[in-house]
Amino acid sequence: MPKKRFIVIGTVLVAAACGGPPSTPAPQAPAAVQLGGPSTGAGTTTADTGEIKPADPAMFNKTPGYSPYAGRNYPERPYFGDEHVHTAWSVDAGGSGTTLGPEEATRFARGEEVVSSSGQPVKLGQPLDWVAITDHSDMMGMITEIKGGSPEMMADSTLKRWRDMFNGNPVEAKKAVMELVAAQANKKLPAIASDPRFAKSVWAKTTTIAEKYNEPGRFTAFIGYEWTSNAGGGDNLHRNIIYRDNKDKADRVLPYTTFQSENPEDLWKWMTEWEKTTGGKILAIPHNGNLSNGRMFALTTFSGDPLTKAWADARQRWEPLFEAIQMKGQSESHPSLSPTDDFAAYELWDRGNLTQTPKKPGMIAAEYAREALKNGLKVEQDLGTNPFKFGMAGGTDTHNGLVAAEEDNFFAKFPSAEPRPDRWDEDAMNFGPNRIVKGWEMTAAGYTAVWATGNTRAELWDAMMRRETYATSGPRMTVRFFGGYDFTQADATRSPAVAGYAKGVPMGADLPAAPAGKAPTFLVAALKDRFGGNLDRIQIIKGWLGKDGKPQEKIYDVVWGDKDRRKIVNGKLTQVGNTVDVATASFANTIGDPELVAVWKDPDFDPSARGVYYARVLEIPTPRWTAYDAAYFKTKITDPKVPMTTQERAFTSPIWYSPK
Amino acid sequence: MRIRTLLREPLLHFVLIGIALFGAYRWLAPADSGGRRIVITQGVVGDLVTQHVAARGREPSATELNHLIESYVREEILYREGVSLGLERDDLVVKRRVRQKIEMIAEEDASTRAPTDADLAAYLTANLARFIQPAILTFDQVFIGESSSGPGVVDVVAVTRDALRKGGDPEELGKPTLLPHRMTRMPADLVARDFGVSFAAALEKVPVGEWVGPIDSSFGAHYVRVSDRTPAVAPQLAAVRDHVVREWENDRRRRARNDAYTRMRGEYQVSIETTPATEGR
Repeated sequence: MPKKRFIVIGTVLVAAACGGPPSTPAPQAPAAVQLGGPSTGAGTTTADTGEIKPADPAMFNKTPGYSPYAGRNYPERPYFGDEHVHTAWSVDAGGSGTTLGPEEATRFARGEEVVSSSGQPVKLGQPLDWVAITDHSDMMGMITEIKGGSPEMMADSTLKRWRDMFNGNPVEAKKAVMELVAAQANKKLPAIASDPRFAKSVWAKTTTIAEKYNEPGRFTAFIGYEWTSNAGGGDNLHRNIIYRDNKDKADRVLPYTTFQSENPEDLWKWMTEWEKTTGGKILAIPHNGNLSNGRMFALTTFSGDPLTKAWADARQRWEPLFEAIQMKGQSESHPSLSPTDDFAAYELWDRGNLTQTPKKPGMIAAEYAREALKNGLKVEQDLGTNPFKFGMAGGTDTHNGLVAAEEDNFFAKFPSAEPRPDRWDEDAMNFGPNRIVKGWEMTAAGYTAVWATGNTRAELWDAMMRRETYATSGPRMTVRFFGGYDFTQADATRSPAVAGYAKGVPMGADLPAAPAGKAPTFLVAALKDRFGGNLDRIQIIKGWLGKDGKPQEKIYDVVWGDKDRRKIVNGKLTQVGNTVDVATASFANTIGDPELVAVWKDPDFDPSARGVYYARVLEIPTPRWTAYDAAYFKTKITDPKVPMTTQERAFTSPIWYSPK
Repeated sequence: MRIRTLLREPLLHFVLIGIALFGAYRWLAPADSGGRRIVITQGVVGDLVTQHVAARGREPSATELNHLIESYVREEILYREGVSLGLERDDLVVKRRVRQKIEMIAEEDASTRAPTDADLAAYLTANLARFIQPAILTFDQVFIGESSSGPGVVDVVAVTRDALRKGGDPEELGKPTLLPHRMTRMPADLVARDFGVSFAAALEKVPVGEWVGPIDSSFGAHYVRVSDRTPAVAPQLAAVRDHVVREWENDRRRRARNDAYTRMRGEYQVSIETTPATEGR
């Protein structure tokens, strides 16, 4: 079957008519192609085309010259951002009263004060370093896609001819693009194309805004969108698509929609095509496994077939990260899957899918990141590729344009849930009896921290691709996590990065083969948010494949605050305590430590068993947003189900071990 | 009433104009834009085919095309019937969508002209504070600890100071920390983002090339050596042009949206009725 490319003429014209901002005078690629035809058989993904090999530790070694900094090119600081933001240009957001568009949302993320959709002035406590505005691709073209190819436009003979050419063979299509470019350059576009009623490719406008606010070194505005697959009526298989490239490449192809397909495999094909067509790079971040009713990490394909190596290759290739926490709860771990984990019962949305269709037994096992990381080891053993070899991301999924995920500054997801005395008691979602999520269940989270060498699209994106990231529930904690075979206590006493990169691999990477008789060692460190709570502890969570082929897990407390007064009793670390005064929504940093660092050696290492390790950092208890609400509005929150304190946290991307 | 008086009666003019407009509309309006006639032009058919191809990867069969056209007709008829009943009028989602469209059109109408140098220069002068170029700092820091006073810390301060003066490697001194030991050519506001506002402000004042301290940050006390510093400057247009263009355009966009609304608002008379009950509150 020949490869086909489809063009929506309206949008093509619009891309041409809009042009770029004055600051980017280079001609914009005018043709927005819509990819997404049938599989061509060509371009099947391979496991390692996009895989970035763990850095050779030698390249990070200090050179012996005078300058202690020469030759050092590892990431020195994490960049905090949100890869999941909806604005008024998402149909569900605009329809629910959001007035802030991508431009306001981006300015807000950069730290500017704005007026929220409900009329309240709001500003972030700390600006973000980067953002990706990810409006839904479905119906994104609000005006243009409605008018695109409309009878009115087709009345123009030139447009009609172009569209026929676009629909013809690839040679014709290319000729049409050329004609279009020429017409634009010579200002001979049909008048209707510059009619403001039509000159609105929302996509081209979105990319223009990202371009304007993207300031390398200061703030990164990624181009992105959300592909919103609600399979089977609300099984959340959503993916955010993040672009490494700029407007010139992004404008050449329209975002993929679920009108084309709800099947993630088709999205991956589209991504393959996109990279081939444009020469650019994109990645996908799935989210809300917790609302997928057993489908996010299912051990079958979308259509229910057994997984194949090609499927696993494609998933690993295109989805290097998973959004493990956001305003609709966390998808890192579930108490029913990890009964020995005292901290898994945290911000759970575990009763149904996106439309609160109730879960059936067994579904939860295919919804959470930790279980998927463990199951991935099994799939790798069986098929040769681990499809769930992902790192950790966090986003807000805000729908009011406000990335306000701070507990004391929580503007929630929709205009109706912005600060109001009764929001905790209202329904956040109501799909009928027993299919309700209450307002208080909303989670003030989260962000993604990226260990990049600099704050640019390319550097941040490359770090995402190599999974050198961690998720936080909101606080700007600094977390380092390295694995190797030679870390010693001495490495825990100086800047961990120097030893970390010199003697091991960072989060997101693979451990090299184990030298005979050696067990993996990990260098882990965390520094509190400068405005946040102290740290309770750092845990390392290990998953491995048992001798019986069944995935196992174990949680190790490796370092903790208030070391002089806390110890491990019967395998459990004693509690850090609690200084929260709910009535005043305040806490004291008199417990816990501001900074923790440790070297930990796996005491149960079996060199023949596949393994995966990641770190979880817990803050001391601090007031939850519900407590800030109650204190500010003087409401009485008496329902004992409503948590008034929280333990903010970070989850790092894992480090994997494979036997030779 | 004399016929001449009647002809001067504004109400009559109104009615006549109304009838004329109505007639003109019936005569001029496209047949498929709201009446009871629906024309499926080749444009519509082409569009349905394109959408089908995009979704399914192939042309629709004749049956499928009939089905697509029938769905289109169904949607069109139900939409028109609904509109004729006024169902769109009280629908919040429709209202918001239409509002969003008209606001976008208002913004777009205003965005055709690129700003001139004179526009930008005037904007820069009027908003100078927003475009100040922050100081650029290169510095090393040694973390002393969470506090610069208290038992033991004074000794640490003294030991660190001595070691630094003797040329000790700053990275091997003080308390281990995840904070960057060195920042190179970093704008002061980004230093403030990592270390706190007062720390960044202090670094704009300390002598260059010397170890000084302790200086407090959001985390504790530090010894600091600023090795290079470009002071904050009032900007020249050439240096901040992109930034000024962006802000100028954003202002124009907001103004266009508000101006369009103000203009429309002027054509409406809005009165807010108060009932005795609400007055009494």
